[in-house]
Amino acid sequence: MPYPPAPIYLDHAATTPLRPEVAEVMAECARRDFGNPSSAHRWGRAARARLESARRSVAASLGAPSARVVFTRGGTESDNLAVLGTARRRLAEGNRAHIVLSAVEHPAVAAAAQQARREGARVTTVGFAAGAFDLDQFRDALADGPCLASCMWVNNETGTVLPIARIAELCRDRGVPLHSDAVQAVGKVPVSLADAPVDLLTVTGHKTGGPRGTGALVARGRTEIAPLHFGGGQEGGIRPGTEDVAGAAGLAMALELAIAERAAEAERLASLRDAVERRLLAGQRRLRVHGASLPRAPHILSLGIPGADPDTLLAALDGLGIAASAGSACASGSRAPSSAIAALHPNDDAASLRLSFGPTNGTRQLDRIVEAVSEAVRRARALSRP
Amino acid sequence: MTAAAPRRRILVAMSGGVDSSVAAALLVEAGHEVIGATMKTFCYGDEEEAASSRTCCGLDGIRDARAVADALGIPHYVFDVEREFTRDVIDDFVSEYGRGRTPNPCVRCNSNTKFRDLMRRGRVLNCDGIASGHYVRLERAGGTVRLLRGADRAKDQSYFLWGLPRELLDRLRFPLGGLAKPEVRARARALGLVTAAKPESQEICFVPTGNYRDFLARRLPTAHSALSPGPVVNARGRVLGRHDGYAGFTVGQRRGFGGGLPEPHYVIEIRPSTREVVIGPRRLLEANGLELEELNWLADPPPPGTLLGVQIRYRAPPLRCRLEAVGSGFARLSFPESARAATPGQSGVLFAGDQLLGGGRIRRVTSADPPIRQSRAASVPAPSPATPEGRPSPSRTGRRASPPG
Repeated sequence: MPYPPAPIYLDHAATTPLRPEVAEVMAECARRDFGNPSSAHRWGRAARARLESARRSVAASLGAPSARVVFTRGGTESDNLAVLGTARRRLAEGNRAHIVLSAVEHPAVAAAAQQARREGARVTTVGFAAGAFDLDQFRDALADGPCLASCMWVNNETGTVLPIARIAELCRDRGVPLHSDAVQAVGKVPVSLADAPVDLLTVTGHKTGGPRGTGALVARGRTEIAPLHFGGGQEGGIRPGTEDVAGAAGLAMALELAIAERAAEAERLASLRDAVERRLLAGQRRLRVHGASLPRAPHILSLGIPGADPDTLLAALDGLGIAASAGSACASGSRAPSSAIAALHPNDDAASLRLSFGPTNGTRQLDRIVEAVSEAVRRARALSRP
Repeated sequence: MTAAAPRRRILVAMSGGVDSSVAAALLVEAGHEVIGATMKTFCYGDEEEAASSRTCCGLDGIRDARAVADALGIPHYVFDVEREFTRDVIDDFVSEYGRGRTPNPCVRCNSNTKFRDLMRRGRVLNCDGIASGHYVRLERAGGTVRLLRGADRAKDQSYFLWGLPRELLDRLRFPLGGLAKPEVRARARALGLVTAAKPESQEICFVPTGNYRDFLARRLPTAHSALSPGPVVNARGRVLGRHDGYAGFTVGQRRGFGGGLPEPHYVIEIRPSTREVVIGPRRLLEANGLELEELNWLADPPPPGTLLGVQIRYRAPPLRCRLEAVGSGFARLSFPESARAATPGQSGVLFAGDQLLGGGRIRRVTSADPPIRQSRAASVPAPSPATPEGRPSPSRTGRRASPPG
């Protein structure tokens, strides 16, 4: 038995377990309505009905019943479509393409912008000033009419909430389309296109109990996006390929449930997160909460731990039965400074630890979480002392 | 599962190669609680050779190690030791070439990174010991631990381990020590490990292209003398030609220098202060002793006068030598029979029979031959730094010294 009994999963920002009711709907969908939505026969019609109902559900859940929903294979694909697809469309029409993005974007946005740059687009990155997103710099970056701005709603590493309403307002004033990656925001903070005039929104299924490999790009108004895949005309030609009907149904249901439960669940997670935070800060010297002065989503606690070796910290935690991650789960074996944490704390080489809470956590785990994290921090700090 | 062996928690260094994969598998089979660890030593992203990270330390190594750990059902962690590795291995590699010596980075890695730095992490994970896929054996008897050559003489890697901190010996495990390479590959195949047919690593892991002149040029100060032109001279100081940087030379290397010389000539000395590369006929490489620095013992030091074997190149038979003097971190050896000795900066590894006693870095080679002032060295053939898998990497110049005959 490699671990103590009952390991605790504190990595819900990486992914979440599938909700049983979602699994049920997906299984039924795949078994019964297995037809290809492009087919004219009754199986095709049944599948199409499922798909279109999922589409309406996603749009409604996000407060934009008339929005266009393009189903994709996940958050990364939605982000790529929004950023690279927009740039390619502009470049193909012989126009200049300028993309403005925040310095804390997920690699799915940042790397797509980098690719757009290689293909001829101009990219401007807007950072943080005095600990907050630099709205002045952002406004200036919009001056020459970029073809897209992209700012995530909630940062995946620190859990900080970006001022999307303000950002959207600035974009609207300048007539610049705004994309926002809301993968970590849905079900945690209010995400409604009715309140924030965002033009393109990335959502995914697996962060809220839905299936992995499902996502959507929700578009209000006209979409000027070139496809990244080529084939049939599915999803309006923007994302060709036989639709994953069961996945779409699962995604729609997961979003609907997460948004319906949001207020109560956010409060529950925030109180658990705050309790862990309070007790860790009280018990450990030189521990820092990333983004403590900013609005934060309730499910992420991002800690800066000076004097600790980050890899060993996580390995020790795993050994103690706590599953967590460094900044994010994406960069394996890399100690490259995280953009989100560097934006808040430049020139800082503290180890970062992300504890992210979710449906598998409860107050009964509080003591063990605090004890294990304290112990792992103590050990990882001992390593750094030669 | 061996009934008698107590179950331990063991951290295995997994490079992603076949040897460490099988080492981990054998420990799992023996019933231990095994944790896999891959050390990330070097960021290929900084280098032009980023694309070719096929060697043991590359990112594909991390991926393969993780796949093997998953197949074995054990946890696997990546430890970033880039800072330590740069300090202990790369910086030393660069400064040694800068001093006109030929370093042994794999020895430095084994002495520092691979075991000491890993053990520190192992302690954090409450591990009882650490293991690797080296072909060496440990013999525990009467409270002492002896490190012995691997049973497969063609694969024996004891040469690389002389710098291990002695206090770690008791914590180490080398599950492959009694096996031959073909058996290890067969095991890997039988277990269906993805690494079963992986080729041996050939180059120094942090210079995957083998072009270390470029590597040095990026790390040495601009116009460092090691990379600047200088004279090629004979033992009497007569200038025979020019070279384009002494970092391209290794003492003991056979060099033509445009021909015209009546007999084969070898690099017999490198003089960084004047940038001179001294060449001469083979007899000038004959030595009657050598001095070791940074000496490390893995056994109680034998008294002066003891006859030992000293191995001065990977895969060379040990030379008979007498321990003349031992100091703190220092030893002087003499060769009862005249020997073609070693290259400064390379390892002098001391054995008594099969037992690895310790070793040091060759500081200078003593020669009876008077014409060479401050004689630094004498050696054949040029030991360009060998990889742990044992094949010497191609000579920096593309020309290798001929064997001693």
